[in-house]
Amino acid sequence: MKRLSKLGRTLAIGILALLFIVAAVQVFQRGREEADDSDLEIIRFAHWQLEPGIREAFDAIAKEYMALHPQVRIKQLSIPGRVWKQWLRTQLVGGEPPDLIEVVNYEVSDEMLARYFVPLTVPLEEKNPYNADEPDLRDLSWRRSFSSELIPEDSVHYYSANLLEYYAVPNAMVTVRIFYNRDIVRAALGEDRVPETYQEFLHWCEAVNAYAEKTGQPIMALAGSSYNAVQLTGMLTSTLTQKLVLDIDYSKDLNFTVQETLITYLLGDWSMRTPALSRCFEIVESIGRFMPPGWAQLNRDDAMLQFLQGKVAMIPTGTWDAAGILQQADFDVGAFRVPGVGPDDQYFGEWAMGPASEANIFASMSFGVTRTSKHSERAIDFLRFMTSRRSNTTFAEMSTWLPVIKGATVPAVSKPFEPIEKGFIRGPSVRSLSVPANDIFQQNIHMLSGRTANAAAYIEHTEPLYKRAVPQELTRMAKVYQATTRQKDSVLAALYQLEKDEGLARSKFDIVASKQLQVEAQRLQILRSLEDHAKR
Amino acid sequence: MPVRHHHQLFKSCLICALTLLVGVTGRAQPAEENDAWTLLSRFLYRDAAEIFERDAGGGRLRDLGLAAALLNDPPVIPSKIMRAEGLLQGVVKESPTDDTGLYAQYLLARIMQVHRETPVKEVEAAYRKIITAAPESASAQLAAAQLALVILYQRSDLDVSGRLAQAADLAAVAGSDRLPDVASSYFHQLAEAALFYKVTDEQVLGWLEQAHAIGSSNPLYQSSFNLQLAEVARAIGQREKALTYYEQFLLTASSTDQRYYTAKARMDELKEETR
Repeated sequence: MKRLSKLGRTLAIGILALLFIVAAVQVFQRGREEADDSDLEIIRFAHWQLEPGIREAFDAIAKEYMALHPQVRIKQLSIPGRVWKQWLRTQLVGGEPPDLIEVVNYEVSDEMLARYFVPLTVPLEEKNPYNADEPDLRDLSWRRSFSSELIPEDSVHYYSANLLEYYAVPNAMVTVRIFYNRDIVRAALGEDRVPETYQEFLHWCEAVNAYAEKTGQPIMALAGSSYNAVQLTGMLTSTLTQKLVLDIDYSKDLNFTVQETLITYLLGDWSMRTPALSRCFEIVESIGRFMPPGWAQLNRDDAMLQFLQGKVAMIPTGTWDAAGILQQADFDVGAFRVPGVGPDDQYFGEWAMGPASEANIFASMSFGVTRTSKHSERAIDFLRFMTSRRSNTTFAEMSTWLPVIKGATVPAVSKPFEPIEKGFIRGPSVRSLSVPANDIFQQNIHMLSGRTANAAAYIEHTEPLYKRAVPQELTRMAKVYQATTRQKDSVLAALYQLEKDEGLARSKFDIVASKQLQVEAQRLQILRSLEDHAKR
Repeated sequence: MPVRHHHQLFKSCLICALTLLVGVTGRAQPAEENDAWTLLSRFLYRDAAEIFERDAGGGRLRDLGLAAALLNDPPVIPSKIMRAEGLLQGVVKESPTDDTGLYAQYLLARIMQVHRETPVKEVEAAYRKIITAAPESASAQLAAAQLALVILYQRSDLDVSGRLAQAADLAAVAGSDRLPDVASSYFHQLAEAALFYKVTDEQVLGWLEQAHAIGSSNPLYQSSFNLQLAEVARAIGQREKALTYYEQFLLTASSTDQRYYTAKARMDELKEETR
């Protein structure tokens, strides 16, 4: 026994020593490689996309680039999502981050962008030489070669509305779709023409349940977990309340923002008992009937396992899961768009206009170039190569994610993932009441599942919770706006000094000041609403 | 988007405008990366503050810069705000109405409004002082536009029509063409506040039309004004005007604007009603 434990200790020390040596050699080699060959340019790029197909696609693109530029080595770093945030901070503050890093606006602040990343506004207005063989793209700027032309909206990952600069270049697009087991569906329905209306979708669900009962197989129609249910019902319910926007959108621009949703709720313009909204809970309840018992307690992985094991016929999820599903499923897989409720639906259609538009699905998986990069020009050049039509087509083929470059081929398997352009605005839903209200929905979704599901009871129970959460969320938003406007006071003082001699009309000072006024107005509108609400 | 092919010309205009916007941003590109003002303009408050601190003989402009940097130098604490106030008061004392003095006054008013819980009347007085001292200055225009928001949302002693009227009285300064984006925002905010208070009338339409005529450098906002104008015109029964603005929105909407088909449906519905 004693000998065994001594042996174990020695073995553990040995393994540790070995790991240390391997790590030391790797670090040494990394520096050595570049030091030995002064012409060698090593470009490291980091991301957290561990989905099947992504790394392979990037490797294939990097290989092709290295063949074109033999003095370049492209190294891919895949960092797990759960440690990404800490890893990113450490790398940036440590001063030796990779040359290219994946950027999302909720993790990289304006200050971080300004401090650690290179603005890409100027290169994006130049042509992409890697599109020189594409007659329709070769005369366009790099920016205009993207399908969305990288419209500088406030909420995109590749542009900072505060700094008025592009900081990243995207590679892919994602949407939410329903994946289905074609074998089960064909067996249940005799064919698998995909449903285009909510009623046709319900018919699918009912047919699968009937098939399971008839054959005695333990199959359910829909994979269940609160994650997947939220994906599905979010899409469905946003069509249920569309016409409500025409009545309660006080700014009359058909853009019913989160702030407007919260303020109109606070001021009593609508509630969970408003018929259009209460129908939303009824729809969740009716969908829940087709999910396995106890689905509200299951997680995303459980739902995926049910689908891959053939225990459920359909799973609603993001197209980021597509490659994983296609690789692991030992059955034929199909996909279709979540069918919205149409105005012709006799029960749910009263406030519906039609399918919700996905025109504002913005490009994702954006990479920025770090300021400390020894080869920033090379890194930008690799980004150009990555987002050429040819490379983006390769990326889409291997990853099944939607391409972002004009004319890049969408693989047949990804066709159903393409965004719905001919769609309508989204109406308010429990999800659009922002994070705390969404948490209430998630925590109480069990009241809408199983045999005792009851939409009326859900509303009764959660109404006081929403009433508490909404003012809190508005207060939080006002604080965020206040921080933003405060920051701009300093920035504007500097822009004024830098630009006043050239004339201020239409200068960056003018534009940022105008933006500050908008944000300040939003903050004061919230404070006014909270004060008026308190007086009631 | 296949159905929108006939709008190519307008899309090209949108792209040109976007390029112009990008060009504008290029104007502020730093000539000297480590210049304190440049660092401050890029949200790098601490770096800027450190350089301003070292420039002890930099005079009033340095004091203004240091104060502006201290307002956001992390962590933002009361002692830093007090020091910034002291520096700004020094700048104002020497010459209250020259360019630097006016901007220092403006920052003092901002401190009162967003860093301290100063009574609204005092904030208003601070902004009005700048407007009265040099109404033709950029500082006064900013002060007037900020004051309009204070009046619109914080003057609880006034009724809604009083708030709207007093804020509209600032148009001569806040709507000046010295800062057209600020002017456009000012008129837009008058309309937005009225709509927030559920006032939809000819005056609101007029403010929106002024915002639209002056124009925003951001083509997305400019396009969006058209839709808001269409909906407001429709609400007050100006059908022809509404149809014109719907059409303008459809011509200028970006390909990522999810309101496109809703606006089109609204326009078609209105056309039907008109018949």
